[in-house]
Amino acid sequence: MIPGDYRVPKISKKFLIISGIGGFITTVLIIVVGIFVGSAWWTQPLFGFDEGPDQPIAFKHAPHVKQLGMKCTYCHRFGTEGAAAAAIPPVEFCMSCHRIVGDDKGEIAKIRDTYEGGKPIDWVRVHRLPDHAKFYHPPHIKKLSEKNNIEASEVCSTCHGDVASMTKVKQVSPMKMGWCVDCHKANGASTDCTTCHY
Amino acid sequence: MKQSKWGMVVDLDKCNGCQACVVACQSENNIPLQKKSDYDENRVIQWIRVERYWEGSFPDVKAKFIPIMCQHCDEAPCEPVCPVYASYHNNEGLNVQVYNRCIGTRFCANNCPYQVRFFNFWEAEWPDSLKNQLNPDVTVRSRGIMEKCTFCVQKIRRTKRDAKVNGFEIEDGAREINPACVNSCNTEALIFGDMNNPESKISRIKAKEEKKDGRGYHLMEHYGTSPNVLYLKKVDNSKKSHSH
Repeated sequence: MIPGDYRVPKISKKFLIISGIGGFITTVLIIVVGIFVGSAWWTQPLFGFDEGPDQPIAFKHAPHVKQLGMKCTYCHRFGTEGAAAAAIPPVEFCMSCHRIVGDDKGEIAKIRDTYEGGKPIDWVRVHRLPDHAKFYHPPHIKKLSEKNNIEASEVCSTCHGDVASMTKVKQVSPMKMGWCVDCHKANGASTDCTTCHY
Repeated sequence: MKQSKWGMVVDLDKCNGCQACVVACQSENNIPLQKKSDYDENRVIQWIRVERYWEGSFPDVKAKFIPIMCQHCDEAPCEPVCPVYASYHNNEGLNVQVYNRCIGTRFCANNCPYQVRFFNFWEAEWPDSLKNQLNPDVTVRSRGIMEKCTFCVQKIRRTKRDAKVNGFEIEDGAREINPACVNSCNTEALIFGDMNNPESKISRIKAKEEKKDGRGYHLMEHYGTSPNVLYLKKVDNSKKSHSH
């Protein structure tokens, strides 16, 4: 071959089609992943998170709250009593009613088994904050109940949504720093870093 | 509520160098256990340390102790050098380190004349038996960020929050709001309080000792950092009798 004698290699049609399809798929993938990551970054994830996670016991809030008219703070009582988290009640607490109430089938049987087995239920956590963000329920409950003029046991839905009608409990509020700060600004609460980070 | 300005007084005449403050701080603030190699490499994390100085020679020798913690300077040299504003001054006079902002440039530690800022060179580790004693109110710092004395801001926040929710007044020098070192000090050499409250113990001491003939002084005053920690000179009576 003479130096400088260079011909552009012929591109076959097959190669063009395959690379075209490949490029198209890659583009679509990047866009889909981009939308998902972007939505999760700025707000809540767009899809795949309509329902909360599967729990070891398919506990339903509806019969407890809607039919029996129990208040949130009957079971999640520690938040209004001064502790940081409202927390999930221990199995013993469920058994204070279910020792007598309910049949021996399905989910109630599971609670009784774990109670007799002496092991705690391995609930999947729904609301999670990083270690460096500290949140305490009591001042928020007090402020919201005073501001909206409702009882302390009714303010939960402001942030946690209508838990009573959820089959699987899911996170409703974004629980991101911007969301916290917006509410703090609107209510004249402190926006100093050490309010939450220490 | 009136804005507080937190400060501390260290009475060196009362300090006997027992290191109780060091231990209390360690357990309150989730400070990892230090190994001998950490000391050898000068990478030890101690939010409060008791420096010991010997004076005189053998039969007539004296030990002097100075507890040194973050001075919470009003003109803090560590603050302007931080590129991400992780080190800043809040409106309660505290020099704050925001862990989630920190990127670990270590500029602040290099610029601090008191050497009270510490870098996490390693991921903090505890033996299994000590994992349950970690304080849930304090973040466990990860590798690669700075940390320093916070005047136990978690206790200040908790007391203020409880006072707001339950509607009570915060007492001056209450154990709930005092930092762990102050609570543990058996001779009451450390005094913590609100300097904006003229009735508080710390304000009275400051008013008395910051006069010309008083015992008060700040560490490395000539740097112009205007610290919020006031040291009270040790009274040495034996020296006086020797010279006269």
